[in-house]
Amino acid sequence: MRNTGRTRKEVKIQPPMTPMIDCIFQLLIFFMLMPTFQSREGYLTTNLPRDQGPNPTTQKDMERIKVELLDEGNEGQGVSIVLNGTQSLGDNFEGLRAALEGYRAQGLQPSHPVLISPTMAVRHKFVVRAFDAAVTARFTSIHFAVPR
Amino acid sequence: MARVTKAKGGGDVGFNMTPMIDIIFNLVIFFMLISQFQQLEIEDVVLPEAEAAKVMDYSEYRNIVINIIKGKTSSLDAVVKVMGREMNVLEPYTRPDGSQTVGGELTALLVSMTSQEGRGQLNVILRADADVPYEDVARVMLAAGAAGIEGWWITTKIPESEQK
Repeated sequence: MRNTGRTRKEVKIQPPMTPMIDCIFQLLIFFMLMPTFQSREGYLTTNLPRDQGPNPTTQKDMERIKVELLDEGNEGQGVSIVLNGTQSLGDNFEGLRAALEGYRAQGLQPSHPVLISPTMAVRHKFVVRAFDAAVTARFTSIHFAVPR
Repeated sequence: MARVTKAKGGGDVGFNMTPMIDIIFNLVIFFMLISQFQQLEIEDVVLPEAEAAKVMDYSEYRNIVINIIKGKTSSLDAVVKVMGREMNVLEPYTRPDGSQTVGGELTALLVSMTSQEGRGQLNVILRADADVPYEDVARVMLAAGAAGIEGWWITTKIPESEQK
């Protein structure tokens, strides 16, 4: 007798779950790691002066803006800002930024040199904040004084 | 007896894509992580914050990462590390012509890297702890200057409020 096959049980077709879970885990790990490596770090860039020997020429001819950072407290935990040798700003970096923006508003060009001159014990974070203030005020020629 | 039936018409033979995708993802993740750590021999430092810092693709440039790590007991005993190796920057460096300059081992390393011809300008990426004194940064700066390096990138943390 011919078998028509109609009496067979219907078999449920299911997609293979294991490789799907496998891929989903891969994607999960990938997207979990991505934000970790998507940089939360940035860079402040400048150029160092070339080694000019023991008597480097000074930029006295150009009236540069001098930002002095003096260490305060134990091991330089505090800082005191002096602008152009006269204007004392305490540790107010917002004030420094406002003062630098003021110079720009008076017509100083972005290429006007700004010299950041920290004492040796000043912490790196304060130097970076002063640099940050100068970059925010859109100065592009920012240098650091390095005592020899 | 079990009856073996032959499939009629010959079925399509296809690739099994799932394990292939699986392996490709693994490789992508692997090479992404490896390249991150190969490019930057970074040390665990607490970076200072700067709002004006720009995210830049360092891989487009030729760089050397210099880490300045804060001392364990005091900020005064900071350590300069390059490619996982501690560098002495206190000793003088003697140039081939006999003259001396600053920077010790670090200057020697930087000079050897800058003297590799045809590889473009070398930049220093400085990763200094927020609390190290400027004295340590200045020493590295002098060493870089003595090696004729001009590009100076200070690595900073972008504050949460600035992150998009």
